[in-house]
Amino acid sequence: MKSLLVRLVSRVPARVETKLLASFLTIVVLLIVLGAVGLRVLSGVNQRTVELVKLQRKIAAYRQVQHDTTNQLYSVTSALLLADQRSLDAALRRVSQFGYDLERLQFVAKDEVELLGQVRQEYDRFVDVARRVVELIRGGNVAEAREVHLAQAAPLADRLERLTNQLVNRAEASMVAGIDASEQAYVVSQLTVIAFAIGSIVLALALGYAISWSLIGPVAEIDARLRQVAAGDFTGRVRVANRDELGALAANVNRTCEELARLYQQLEAASRHKSEFLANTSHELRTPLNAILGYAELIEDNIYGEVPDKIREVLNRIQSNGRHLLGLINDVLDLSKIEAGQLSLSIADYSMKEVVQTVVTATGALADEKNLAFSTMISEDLPVGEGDERRITQVLLNLVGNAIKFTEAGGIAVRALAENGAFEVAVSDTGPGIPPEEHQRIFEEFRQLDSSSTRTKGGTGLGLAISKKIVELHGGRIWVDSDPGSGATFHFTLPVRMEVMEDAV
Amino acid sequence: MSSRILIVEDTEDNMRIARDLLSSAGYELLEAMDGAAAVTMAALHRPDLILMDIQLPVVDGYEATRRIKANAELRAIPIIAITSYALSGDDVKARAAGCDAYIAKPYSPRMLLAEIRKILNRSDPL
Repeated sequence: MKSLLVRLVSRVPARVETKLLASFLTIVVLLIVLGAVGLRVLSGVNQRTVELVKLQRKIAAYRQVQHDTTNQLYSVTSALLLADQRSLDAALRRVSQFGYDLERLQFVAKDEVELLGQVRQEYDRFVDVARRVVELIRGGNVAEAREVHLAQAAPLADRLERLTNQLVNRAEASMVAGIDASEQAYVVSQLTVIAFAIGSIVLALALGYAISWSLIGPVAEIDARLRQVAAGDFTGRVRVANRDELGALAANVNRTCEELARLYQQLEAASRHKSEFLANTSHELRTPLNAILGYAELIEDNIYGEVPDKIREVLNRIQSNGRHLLGLINDVLDLSKIEAGQLSLSIADYSMKEVVQTVVTATGALADEKNLAFSTMISEDLPVGEGDERRITQVLLNLVGNAIKFTEAGGIAVRALAENGAFEVAVSDTGPGIPPEEHQRIFEEFRQLDSSSTRTKGGTGLGLAISKKIVELHGGRIWVDSDPGSGATFHFTLPVRMEVMEDAV
Repeated sequence: MSSRILIVEDTEDNMRIARDLLSSAGYELLEAMDGAAAVTMAALHRPDLILMDIQLPVVDGYEATRRIKANAELRAIPIIAITSYALSGDDVKARAAGCDAYIAKPYSPRMLLAEIRKILNRSDPL
């Protein structure tokens, strides 16, 4: 039900701004309506209060009339007793005062016209009787006056009192009814306002929920999709029903993903083609080079006849340049195979001691040429290793070769030991050293400390990158400790048994 | 009596290098340009050793080796595979096919000769 509302809001073909404005306006309208209802209730209460006040005044007036009637009777009675001028004047004043009260009463009460008419008639009669009584007293006929008073005025006064009593009772009854009605009306208005307030809150909440989820849902979905893309997964699409900016954004994300997937595929294909091309090219380059080196060696070994010294010297140069070229081609081939993921290791048992000795034998002559001291320190109890002996030899050959290449005076030291199920091999030199900021970079492709050294020292700058890949393929680690001016020590570790490392990882 | 060596090689220069190297070392040579010819020549002439290039047209060196080793009469002939550096795992494949030794290209003729002498001395009761 709620999700239906969210979907409904999502599909509204309007901009987010419009939707937000519409929802805020709705809430504002609800508030205004609530206010209006409250005002109406208030004005109803006010009206009823006014009516009650009127009723109260009426009751007061009726009581006044009642009171006046009693007074009247009393004043006429005292005039009869005293029969002096002052009492008579007071009696007449009271009579007219009663008349004034009655006028006011007429103004107040319009709904009890009939009763009031009777009161008026009775009053007129009473006034006539009272005046007659007063005149009789003035005329000295006190006895007659007393008679008239007893026979006429007193019963009239009684009737007037009864009538006014009726008026008061009726007014009091309507006052009680009015208070009751007011209380009921108050309860009804209270309920109306509460119901309206609850309705408004529920509506505002539902609206807020729908609007916010119609925004949050697509954002969360797009976020999840972008995370997948960041992780390299370009498949899949964002499904957003919105027809607003978020819908447009989702469509854009989808388009971008498709484009990225397309570019990624192209890139992968290009990279694969490049690696294949490099592999093929270096293979093609090596075939004639092999022939050149082969023939040169045959000539050197006098297979085609005795070689004069002068030619032998040039022949050596052909061979050393040819081997250098072969080394470069092999490096490029290795790296392209590694990049194409085609470099697989030929895992077999090997002796680390033999690997070190092979490398020392192969490079000893070079160190001698430069008058460098060459020391090796191999632990006596090295276990039998498991790995690609040829590739491991290549790594050590590269490190020792570099050490000799970059060291002009001093010496090279190779140490090999086994610790915690791993070989640790270190190659130290007394060369110029490597600044700390270069310690990572030298293991990247085509990096040499000083690009001019490529010219003077030879090499492709691929050796360390290849060594790193080979060591890592074995599950080991390679790094360098060095400070400029105090030589360098290259370390690499290799798990003695391949599966030991796999377990540890 | 000098040993007979069958050289299986499809490129002109490699063939000539092997030929010049081995004939100057005093071996008697047989030559084949592809795997099928190698199997035929081996059966026909019973060489003392076969130098088998792996990358060959039609029938490659692995297949030729398998066929020779499948023949009970020829099984004893040692075969040195010449594997290409460009293809990884060739040494493993060469051994799986039944080769007795392998040498990776680029090889030094000097080292090839040493390897051949080693194997012939081992297998030859002389």
